[in-house]
Amino acid sequence: MSESTKKNTDKKTVKGRTSGQFRCLYCFKRITAPPGAKSTTCPHCGYAWRISWFSPGEPRIRGPVWENNEAMTRKIMAESKGGSK
Amino acid sequence: MALKRKIAYIDLTNRTVKTASIPIELRKKFLGGRGLDMYLLYNHMEPGADALGPGNVALVSAGLLVGTLASASARIHLAGKSPLTGFIGSANCGGFFAPEMRLAGFDHLVIKGKADKPVYLWIHNGDIEIRDAGHLWGHNAQDSQTLIREELGDDDIQSLTIGVAGENLVRFSCVMTSMKNAAGRTGIGAIWGSKNLKAVAARGTMDIGIAHPEEALDYNKEIITQVTSAKVSKTMQKLGTMFIWGTTNTTGLVRVRNFQSNQIPHADDIEPESIEEEMIGTAGCFGCQVHCRGRYFIKGGPYSGTYAEGPEYTSLGAFGAEVGCTSKQTVLVGNHLVNSYGMDTLETGSMIAWAMELFEKGILTEKDTNGLDLSFGNNDAVIEAVNQIAHREGIGDILAEGPLRAAEKIGQNSIQYLIHVKGMSNLHSDERPTPALSLNIATASRGADHLRSRPAIDLYHLPEKVLRKIFGNPVPYDGPLTSDFRDYEGKPWEVIWQEMCYGAVDCLGICKYHTVFLGPNMPNFDEWSKLIYLNTGLELSPKDIWDSAERCYTLEKLFNLREGQTRDMDWLPDRYFDEPTDKGLPVVRGRSIDREKFTKMIDEYYKLHEWDKKGIPKKAKLESLGLNNEPSHQL
Amino acid sequence: MSKILVIDHEKCTGCRLCELVCSVKHERVSNPYRARIKIVKWEMAGKIIPVVCQQCEDAPCMGVCPVNALSRNAETGAVEIDYDVCIGCRMCMNACPFGAMGYDWVNSHVIKCDLCGGDPQCARFCETGAIQYVEKATLGALKQRKGAAALAEVMTKVSTAYSEAG
Ligand code: SF4
Ligand SMILES: [Zn+2]
Repeated sequence: MSESTKKNTDKKTVKGRTSGQFRCLYCFKRITAPPGAKSTTCPHCGYAWRISWFSPGEPRIRGPVWENNEAMTRKIMAESKGGSK
Repeated sequence: MALKRKIAYIDLTNRTVKTASIPIELRKKFLGGRGLDMYLLYNHMEPGADALGPGNVALVSAGLLVGTLASASARIHLAGKSPLTGFIGSANCGGFFAPEMRLAGFDHLVIKGKADKPVYLWIHNGDIEIRDAGHLWGHNAQDSQTLIREELGDDDIQSLTIGVAGENLVRFSCVMTSMKNAAGRTGIGAIWGSKNLKAVAARGTMDIGIAHPEEALDYNKEIITQVTSAKVSKTMQKLGTMFIWGTTNTTGLVRVRNFQSNQIPHADDIEPESIEEEMIGTAGCFGCQVHCRGRYFIKGGPYSGTYAEGPEYTSLGAFGAEVGCTSKQTVLVGNHLVNSYGMDTLETGSMIAWAMELFEKGILTEKDTNGLDLSFGNNDAVIEAVNQIAHREGIGDILAEGPLRAAEKIGQNSIQYLIHVKGMSNLHSDERPTPALSLNIATASRGADHLRSRPAIDLYHLPEKVLRKIFGNPVPYDGPLTSDFRDYEGKPWEVIWQEMCYGAVDCLGICKYHTVFLGPNMPNFDEWSKLIYLNTGLELSPKDIWDSAERCYTLEKLFNLREGQTRDMDWLPDRYFDEPTDKGLPVVRGRSIDREKFTKMIDEYYKLHEWDKKGIPKKAKLESLGLNNEPSHQL
Repeated sequence: MSKILVIDHEKCTGCRLCELVCSVKHERVSNPYRARIKIVKWEMAGKIIPVVCQQCEDAPCMGVCPVNALSRNAETGAVEIDYDVCIGCRMCMNACPFGAMGYDWVNSHVIKCDLCGGDPQCARFCETGAIQYVEKATLGALKQRKGAAALAEVMTKVSTAYSEAG
């Protein structure tokens, strides 16, 4: 079949969607994790996350690095930066 | 065309079946699915009827777009008066039953009375037959479907069934279809059980006309791209709704040990990724490309080798964090058991978690439980309790009665430890840091319920501009809206908007994962308007759809008021106010709900709804919605 | 270049969207039972198998047709039915080893996949890639890669076990 007779099977791209990154659950900034990384520390706030990859280029937070984050949270709460609202 | 489907009235006492067409005006007013179910419930149930008596009705409704080229339009809605709460009984599920019932010629069933012995309904190309179900009684929800296929000699039959929990009138039993699709909440299974109705089976080959086939095909493709390109969908394609539990446990927004904490650290074995290791893949509902349903075989133990589907978010709470367990085996087995018994996983887990706290506090002892050690974290006891509830044995017989009745039986101050609203347990999530989500569960028409009005995207820190775009359409809103989920201001409107959003898709038969539930860029009123037009030819504006959803929600409110609901029932358990969260990230730690601000929030919510201070819809509101003459008995 | 539908049943989630879009494309109505493709399930055992015409090189349906109503479309490679010639004997249904030749009771004739004239809707809508429309020339390479991936996984396990054993 020639290309010209082939009907156009649409491929609509959606703008404004990011891949290869995830948002830090503490500071909400975007973090890029090294491919395949199992954990990473947020360069912006210092919270550390265990990472899983739901597809080769798509990381998500699997969970906290418990001890690190608990210590940080306690410190922040002690300084009462948790923000009472 | 898609709208040529009929309604059937089935009287089980007298064994009669009548059918009728559905007036187009009612279609336009209530769409279908949950909307028409609420109309039918308000019109056909005698006020004050016993939920487990012949005076209750069992309603089955396909959404307006079911079986058409609207992505994930697979939902069947079931209704009646809830045996759990005494208010709205309403639940829906996906799978393949809804399109099959439509192909068989019907959109709505009104099932009344009570059969003198077990029966099931057989719907086939315009015909409905009441058949003996003696041979199905006592079988689990899935085997019953297989037995019907074998009996009628057709593998393409789709059935809604109840399991033994429904037969035993467990007040939170479900109606099931396929392996795990459950119309889970409010105890519809017990209504069916009380009517001796074991199943509704359908098989049909009648065309569903599509108004504009080529355009509908192209538009379906567009919607699918819109949905599946969202990160949340890509995550769900792999992890299902379990991913939400993972993320919210990371933040500190889950329930642990019957709401005694909001995070369970080091629960690696029940993290979604760990459970995903057991999966052989995922499955989708009719026409859905999100395919969020996990598929797995149980390995080891007495159920080894059993095929099952799920688990979802709720089972991670029910057989994990809430009962203090961190073993995926318990989650996978518990999930399988509730699905085969046909029992709401959420309510089951909540009842067990509650009993465990009573056990911890000494309100229940081994004397009450026949030696069953209901300590938090006792995996075997959790599984045993599931079995006992389904069969109404031992302590299970009390727990099967649901929160309020069980608390009355156990007495002492056991009621204090219930995490319920209007007699229905809450999702295994913690809303103390999030006033918007608290308002959602406090006011939802079914009781503590995340699927009526949860503005989950309130957690996403979206910029105000984005929020305005979402929450300002199709009805303009210029009140406050804020990105901070700890705020009280502006949230009542988010809850109302979400009520209409979920109401709309429940009427259309579309899955909520195709809405602004977990992803802000998902299809919305504008898209639904176009889908309705391309598929059915009906011209309904986004605002028309909103109005239909509002009619539906208002009728639910009217029904609840008729059955005795009062303002004080739109409220939260004391723990939300008195016990601040003890774990999680700084933003969610040490947080509780402020009684005064929350009261104001409810006032504001009523005001926006045009309800009076008692939560009663004002006359002018009813008139503007065209509900001032209900019940109007047009159907 | 000629393309062919490739089915990977392991990727199929059983949603039946292919049946739906196929029926709309060919019959202008939604009716999965009038589709040219069928998702056969053993639901309670977790088995899902898509069934569609393989466009066999030596097609049994063509061979058995007594009036030569079946022929291959030179452009798409699809085996197609000429309804003006077809006498409705349904021998082709018997001959097809896959059950891919269907029967439409509305028009009282057999039906089969015609690759939608070169833009098969099932493949267009299948997000999981369980149904793909691929160049015949790459067919082998696809299978090789899949086989190699499985092998690679085994090899990783072996080498980890080896290094752990020490
Ligand atoms: S998202 Fe999940 S529940 Fe919703 S229709 Fe798709 S498979 Fe079904
Ligand atoms: Zn950070």
